[in-house]
Amino acid sequence: MNITFSDVTKTFEPDITALSDVNLNIEQGEFVYVVGQTGSGKSTLLRLITREILPSAGVVAVGGYDLRRMRRADVPYYRRDVGLVAQDFKLIPSLTVYENIAFVMETMSVPKKIVAERTKDVISQVGLWRRRFMRPNQLSGGEQQRVAIARALANSPSLFIADEPTGNLDFHTAADVMKILFSINAAGVTVVMSTHNQNIVNSSRRRVIELENGKLIRDEKGGTYTG
Amino acid sequence: MTTLRYILRDMWRLVVHHWVLGLLTLITAGVMMWILGVTTLFSLNLENLLSRLESELVVQAYLVKDNTLDIEKTAAKIQALEYVYAMKIYSPADSLAKLQEKMGSQSRALDMLGENPIPYNFEIHVHRAEDVEHLVDELNAMPEVDDVVYAGLVVKRISALSRISSRIALVMFILSVIITALVVYNTIHISLYSRREEIGIMYLVGATRAYIATPFVLEGTLLSLLGAVIAAAGIMGAYFPGVTLIQSNLPFLRNSIITDRAVIFRFCALLAGFGATLGWVCSYIIVARFINSITKPE
Repeated sequence: MNITFSDVTKTFEPDITALSDVNLNIEQGEFVYVVGQTGSGKSTLLRLITREILPSAGVVAVGGYDLRRMRRADVPYYRRDVGLVAQDFKLIPSLTVYENIAFVMETMSVPKKIVAERTKDVISQVGLWRRRFMRPNQLSGGEQQRVAIARALANSPSLFIADEPTGNLDFHTAADVMKILFSINAAGVTVVMSTHNQNIVNSSRRRVIELENGKLIRDEKGGTYTG
Repeated sequence: MTTLRYILRDMWRLVVHHWVLGLLTLITAGVMMWILGVTTLFSLNLENLLSRLESELVVQAYLVKDNTLDIEKTAAKIQALEYVYAMKIYSPADSLAKLQEKMGSQSRALDMLGENPIPYNFEIHVHRAEDVEHLVDELNAMPEVDDVVYAGLVVKRISALSRISSRIALVMFILSVIITALVVYNTIHISLYSRREEIGIMYLVGATRAYIATPFVLEGTLLSLLGAVIAAAGIMGAYFPGVTLIQSNLPFLRNSIITDRAVIFRFCALLAGFGATLGWVCSYIIVARFINSITKPE
């Protein structure tokens, strides 16, 4: 799923410009880091892709569809093809690990047996099968992040959005999470990940998009980040 | 079918998760539905009693004593009046015989009168008590009519009672509906508000608005329906012993009270259906508004 930003500006009330005239194109199967200081517009860029917010000006197109023109009723169907991992995990606190992951398939009326098989697969993939009956508040930050990744993987999405997925994690846990993301990308899934972790960016040398005060100041293949 | 199973499970999760609030809603909805049912039943019985009294109300119109008067023509003229429901003609001889029968052993006093003093007269029945006054005015305006006799005060009281009882029933009905609606609305609102973050997440990971909303709507409908069923069961259980008690203490009301079990059963079924509908409407409105606001992109 390719992503195109054409002259995208996003302002918030009263007068905060989060993104200004951003133009970029991400091809299917790419792994892209979105870097920049806190408040540079990284999360805004990702939230525009997931259609949590709409651009104030310009066009955000994903898979050829202008997200602004997308009917509200079609948004859930679009999101089922976008795996989302947020910094604050966004897990449903009243559900167990298993239920959180199964939920995304249940919304698509997937039969119970298939839900059970697929849920087992993705939980095992992130190494949390033994913790499947626990609720998010009984897990560590790294484990919660892995649950969020498993949930994002459940629907086999074409696009994977990760907003600072390693932000709350120690070095080793962050490395584990990155391994999972690289393996997802290796399977042909487009991954867009925001981070300000220099080690991660510099050790993998992927495409880097750098934002500063809402402006795109660098778009470099095999780039690094010095913060 | 799979979706329905998931939705029903989610609804059950909601009910269990907010069981204290649910129980309070159930009790309040039950009490309000019971009040609604009892008020309506009381009103129906009162209406029954009043319509019986009204059917027994009679206006007696006495014609002028004039041998040239065409009785048939006058009868047709009166029959054509708007408020006349039924009419019976009494000749002077019939009227005297009726009077004698009423007076029993004292009827000999009538013989002292010599000539029969009673003119041709009509016994007229009306549809409603409030029609009597209008009918009397119209009869008095007719030159053929000499005198009109009716139970004026009784008519006024029955009319007033009928009006008041209808108004009280209407007010009680509206109040019960509003209170039940507010309680269900509030419960679902609290249920939604306490899970607003979850709802946002559900929408973010691909749940449709209908999928998110349906368990909440079903929760409100279920609580309201159960409240109404409890109220209906309470009414069914208390109504017939109450009727027996009233009939033994106030025998003159015997024929004015609804005693048909099928009618009461249908009424209770209707009450349960009304409860479920009310719960569904309230829940639907609040859920639609809440989910719309929470899923709207900035």
